[in-house]
Amino acid sequence: MKMQRPAIPGHPRLLAVLILACTGLMGLSTCKPPPIPSPDDALIARGRDLFFEETFDGNGRTCGSCHPAANNFTIDPAFIATLPDGDPLFVAEFNPDLEENVENPTLMRELGLIVENQDGFGDLENDFNMRGVPHTLGLPISIESRDGPRTGWSGDGAPGDGSLRSFATGAVVQHFTKTLGRVPGVDFRLPTDEELDAMEAFQLSLGRQEELSLPLPLKGTIAARGQEIFGDVTLGKCSACHSNAGANGDPNIFGADAGNLNFNTGVEDLPDQPADLTDELVPPDDGFGTPGNGEFNTPSLVEAADTGPFFHNNSVETIEGAVAFYNGDAFNNSPAGQLLVGATGSGINLDATQVVEVAAFLRAINALENIRQGIELLDSFASRKFLGNEKFDQLLARAGQETDDGIEVLTAGGLHPLAVAQLRKARRLIQEAMESRSSSETLARQAIGKLENTRDDLIESQ
Amino acid sequence: MLKHRIAIGLAFALLLSLPSAYAQKATEIFIPIGASPGLSGEYTKIGPIEAASALNQSVTTSDPSGSYTVRVVEGTKVWLDKSKMKATSEVGGFADLLAGRTVEVKFRDNDPDNPAEWIKVQIAE
Repeated sequence: MKMQRPAIPGHPRLLAVLILACTGLMGLSTCKPPPIPSPDDALIARGRDLFFEETFDGNGRTCGSCHPAANNFTIDPAFIATLPDGDPLFVAEFNPDLEENVENPTLMRELGLIVENQDGFGDLENDFNMRGVPHTLGLPISIESRDGPRTGWSGDGAPGDGSLRSFATGAVVQHFTKTLGRVPGVDFRLPTDEELDAMEAFQLSLGRQEELSLPLPLKGTIAARGQEIFGDVTLGKCSACHSNAGANGDPNIFGADAGNLNFNTGVEDLPDQPADLTDELVPPDDGFGTPGNGEFNTPSLVEAADTGPFFHNNSVETIEGAVAFYNGDAFNNSPAGQLLVGATGSGINLDATQVVEVAAFLRAINALENIRQGIELLDSFASRKFLGNEKFDQLLARAGQETDDGIEVLTAGGLHPLAVAQLRKARRLIQEAMESRSSSETLARQAIGKLENTRDDLIESQ
Repeated sequence: MLKHRIAIGLAFALLLSLPSAYAQKATEIFIPIGASPGLSGEYTKIGPIEAASALNQSVTTSDPSGSYTVRVVEGTKVWLDKSKMKATSEVGGFADLLAGRTVEVKFRDNDPDNPAEWIKVQIAE
């Protein structure tokens, strides 16, 4: 529960001075007192500052280096291409101590892959994995399992007790070090308990806090058909492992407390993987455990369409390709595919139209999430509510990014042109709000109206 | 009926494939004794080695709650914590479990009756 912002605190004379200053010198909208955070929001805000600004005395990277808010808390080649050469993400390119065995600059820039020494640091030249960066959205509803939290691509990303809270400690050791010596107190400092608490609170605050409840009353015929296929146990069979298009197993199949599950879906067996087409060394990724059992955990799909490339090794660029993966031999011959064959009598074999329809469904629910987040950000700005996970002066920019994502997700699928037009109007209003000194709140409210109109174009009112 | 069949099939296969633990060990080697998040101070024991038995593959250590004997089995990882020397920590072995050295012991499934999952040995000089 967030605390309501109290009336302007302080002495009446101070208040009068403040009002005079506001009306006379600046603009009403920029002079209201800052929102007051609740204790929970203060912890989240502390975690946000650590996440984006704290280098832990390391090589200059922060958590935000690989999980930037401006790119849905993940990185991809297109985003990486916008960064200056001196960005700490590229430490392997300009820090002589980190030239070798910390990153592969070619694979980072071309495919968005980073080095993970998931099986140990004993043979840095040969024993490593090249993995994409998973986003950190919707974590409260995507990492819990019957056997404890599953973090990172293979569900075993965190040291210590394996919790999300502990994840940052392992990330600092892996990614923040000044040298390959990895000596605490020399090459980095480890996060304190207080810092781990705050960063955990911040990460848990990001994105969705609750599951969708499928089926949704979607208006688009293609997306609606895609939703049917998605949930059809004889056709798409997707919802068995992605209940409500999230990251958890269907409780009717796996039990109420199954939560997030690990599977070997055969991604490593895909032919012609982009990384394998380069001349770079890319050892097989054995997934969970040491040695690994080939399993990776199940990602949420609601946030998928604007967080590609897909799978742990960024092997598929488009959401359509990711859906089509489940038609192929790599999946249908995999342990997970064979499990499905054994349980249902057949693998997955969708026609091209059906692949596109399932992808259209995923694009539609991603756009709806973009809209939800955009409205939340704009409302926090217009109502001057404290949103711990975002700085007040970044709310409009973040709302703009969510709106841009919604436009891109729908446009790339050729979906909902009228909704896209509404989104563009909302985007223009957000831009005007960012540039306005006196009417930014009014413009933000108008943008909320456009986003609500867009939502009404995508889904029946519930 | 079909959904019921799917449920039984998938759930059974899942039970067969469930991993037992989720924390990764790779970066743990670089985390000094007493600093493992969520474990140190709660589920591990820290204290000096009183005796080591190569014959029994066990070490006896003590902490404020008393002495205890830890079984070292094939899968037990032994790490040499050299952080106090400002040096890189290394993989060790049973031979590094010498009397007098401070260790931190993490038990399998956090149960002190189980063998050690990992043991960090402080190397101070």
